[in-house]
Amino acid sequence: MKRLVLSILFLVTTGTAVALAAGGKADPRTMSFPELRFEIPAAERVVLECGMPVYLLRDTELPIINITALVRTGSVYEPAAKAGLASLTGNVMRNGGASGLSPEKMDDELEFMASAVESGIGSDMGTVSLTSLTKNFNRTLRIFCDVLLHPDFSPQRVDIARRHLIEGLRRQNDDPKGIAGREFYRAIYAGHPLGAVPTFASANAITRQDMVDFHHRFFRPDAMILAVSGDFDRTALLKELNAVFGKPATTSPSALPDIPQPTVDFRPEVIYGKKEVNQTVIRMGHLGITKADPDIYALRILDYILGGSFTSRLTMEVRTNQGLAYNVDSRFDVGRRFTGSFIAETETKAESTGKAISLMEEIIAGMTREPVSDQELRAAKEYIINSFMFGFTSPASIVNQRARLEFYGYPPGYLENYRDNIARVTKEDVLAAARRHLKPEAFKLVVVGDASKFDKPLATFGPVRELDLGQQPEK
Amino acid sequence: MKRIWLLVVALCLCSTSLRASGLEDKVVEHTMRNGMKLLLVERHTSPTVAAWIRFRVGSVDERSDEQGIAHMLEHMLFKGTTTLGTKNYAAERPLLDKIEQTAQAMIAEKAKRGHGDKARIAELEKQLSALEAEASQYVIKDEFFELYAKNGGVGYNAFTSRDGTTYMINLPANKLELWAAIESDRMQNAVLREFYSERAVVMEERRRSTDADPENKLWETFVASGFLTHPYGHPTIGWQSDIENLTRTKAEQFFHAYYGPQSAIVAIVGDIDTKATIAMVERYFGAIPSGKVPAPVTAEEPKQEGERRIELVAEAEPALLVGFHKPAINAPDDFVFDVISMILGNGRTSRLYKKLVIEKQLATDAGVFEAPGSRYPNLFLVNATPRAPHTATDVEEAILSELELLKTEPVAERDLQRVLNKIEYEEAGQMGTNGGLARNLTEYEAVAGTWRYMAEYRRKVAAVTAADIQRAARQYFTRENRMVGFITKKGGEGK
Repeated sequence: MKRLVLSILFLVTTGTAVALAAGGKADPRTMSFPELRFEIPAAERVVLECGMPVYLLRDTELPIINITALVRTGSVYEPAAKAGLASLTGNVMRNGGASGLSPEKMDDELEFMASAVESGIGSDMGTVSLTSLTKNFNRTLRIFCDVLLHPDFSPQRVDIARRHLIEGLRRQNDDPKGIAGREFYRAIYAGHPLGAVPTFASANAITRQDMVDFHHRFFRPDAMILAVSGDFDRTALLKELNAVFGKPATTSPSALPDIPQPTVDFRPEVIYGKKEVNQTVIRMGHLGITKADPDIYALRILDYILGGSFTSRLTMEVRTNQGLAYNVDSRFDVGRRFTGSFIAETETKAESTGKAISLMEEIIAGMTREPVSDQELRAAKEYIINSFMFGFTSPASIVNQRARLEFYGYPPGYLENYRDNIARVTKEDVLAAARRHLKPEAFKLVVVGDASKFDKPLATFGPVRELDLGQQPEK
Repeated sequence: MKRIWLLVVALCLCSTSLRASGLEDKVVEHTMRNGMKLLLVERHTSPTVAAWIRFRVGSVDERSDEQGIAHMLEHMLFKGTTTLGTKNYAAERPLLDKIEQTAQAMIAEKAKRGHGDKARIAELEKQLSALEAEASQYVIKDEFFELYAKNGGVGYNAFTSRDGTTYMINLPANKLELWAAIESDRMQNAVLREFYSERAVVMEERRRSTDADPENKLWETFVASGFLTHPYGHPTIGWQSDIENLTRTKAEQFFHAYYGPQSAIVAIVGDIDTKATIAMVERYFGAIPSGKVPAPVTAEEPKQEGERRIELVAEAEPALLVGFHKPAINAPDDFVFDVISMILGNGRTSRLYKKLVIEKQLATDAGVFEAPGSRYPNLFLVNATPRAPHTATDVEEAILSELELLKTEPVAERDLQRVLNKIEYEEAGQMGTNGGLARNLTEYEAVAGTWRYMAEYRRKVAAVTAADIQRAARQYFTRENRMVGFITKKGGEGK
């Protein structure tokens, strides 16, 4: 019986021999598998009467509906003197009541239905999301639309949100990892809105009217894309959405102010923050690329080989071989609108700080000297191509993915051609991309820890600028 | 395009017919002759599968001279077997033995403290690095990971808690057999190579998660002070000196004692054929000797007879933790605590949020949780972040008055109904991801004794009354049973 099952299995495999040991067990190194051709699941794209694109994927496995609205806004549009305005606006849209429904009543209604509506604004996107049981969908959808379009910004909730921001600032130097991450991005985006961080002064300068204006300026039907998935009734949903968003706006179309790209200025810097801890936080890197760069596929492979997997060069050497760290990795964050970044990071005991920095810089520089090995290239491609399907495991992830690609203006066919584009990358492409985009000699190096215990003076790596981590008093 | 759309419609029809049935109709349970428990759920939403193995072994099962070994072993079980992770085990093995002898000699010398021979320690350290370098020529680094990754596996990881240890992976559905081949090999033939360099990694993990993070450090101290005899008080990762004294020999003994089929609960959720999957798992795991499950912990925590206050002075703003001892999972009062947790700490309608965050604005957040495990009596905990100029003491007073209120005023019917509505939503959503369901199935099977805990949960909670809550609040939220932990800012004005 066992034999029979095995021989059937053998027949449906792709053709290469299955290495079977005694007892019908395959060798993990040589085993092969039945073929699985993965097609990207389709989502329907419809356009509302007002012109808003909506991605739909109906799936009734769970009696649940999810919606996300993606909105063209972001903290890059806030004035530097009011840093924190976008994030506070996103917070109070949900927390400050809407369309006359008080914050307390909204919380009570939503939580009694076990529904959720949440809002937030990041650097270049705002989102409002809904999750609801099918049976409570109509009422939840109303609240979702009101939060999106008609938030009331209750003065009490505006004050609370601001006070929470201020308390967060008071605490922003408690965690060494938090300090290092913040200071790294401030350094590489210096002078650009992406490098701005809230201060006590900016938090205190933000008024309720600023939030009302910020919302009014950006949250318009012609600046949004919706993604809807789950157990909805298509006809009823579209009718409802058309009723909410109405006809095309008669006002002038939404025009976002032009924000320039950050200045590419590869100048090294060593930045030090003093904390009395036994482990040092290390971050290093510089500006990276945008999605328009033809090297995005080569860099995806470079990421996997350099610092993006458990068998990456950084993890293998810094962690596995030398036991210097638990966490070590690197990545290019591809900028969707603005130039992205390259960052490498680790944490190591104070006594091995210098050793870890030198080792990481050397490993990164190695990527620009020699081509990667055939084996590394193959392993990276196999992983990226074979795991591609995990980007599409739920109806919500499928529609959200589609909506995001349109939101950021990815070229048509980006997903469909992704695996082929990865497969086409050569060793030479990876080397050329590394030489173009990795500049270890120009890293911004951020180190937070106790320099009195370091194995080497930090000045070994260049002139040191020390951060003032003392907090200026509030107000 | 059209064809795919049709496919989607077909999928919907088929899952609609399933929808009427609950979790109990979807989980297939199969216990193998060697004791390994399989829980399988077919879900055809995507061509993927999640495979989780939960061992009924956690840090509570460690002896006092091997604390930290369960977590250390979790790391070591990534290092390969007699055939994977090595180019030549026969040649490697004698070197591993020499490494072990050298490391043990070094640990023994260091244990002499001031009387230890420093020159000998230095010599042994040198020998150890030379031997490790020699052994490394035979090592194929992280071959399990490499094999899973090239086949598209994602989320390959493991975690250890007080109660247990879990290994998980997500694979394209056609490659589940790879999991069976690797995991059955690991269960029988694991080789704990590279032990001492990995021990250094674990020390860095400890520095990262605890030493350099004031809130986690407060938590570790708080829990240790909460349990005088029960091993729940011991941090799973071990104290620094525990880790420094772990050896490969101790890890191997622990592994051979407890990590067999008898203690393994496996959940496979996703695009599978249940029958064929059971046959395949039987083929790979069926012949493995059953092994044993650790005996239950016999230590019983004595009743706390007075408030315990724990202070941590740190370079950080104030934080606050308030805790009370309570019974384990499955005890009738545990369900009462679940309701109390939700009423006090779940969402924007919770009492702590409404009172502390919105009305009095003493804190920026407040939450409720239960820890550090659930198999044995544990702690009910409230944490909050004070908002300046309010102090941890102000917040503590406000939390205690909310707890008092539970004793004096019955909870409203609408509040109880909201809790049940939330559970209904969670039940509906728990089938939403392969990994999430696999996690819950293995976890509840292990700590509650059966995955059916999930299916019966709403009924059990529905039976909790306002009077139960009042009675439990009076019984447990007492000064004698209370612990308070707080961070005082170093060089600050004090609490």
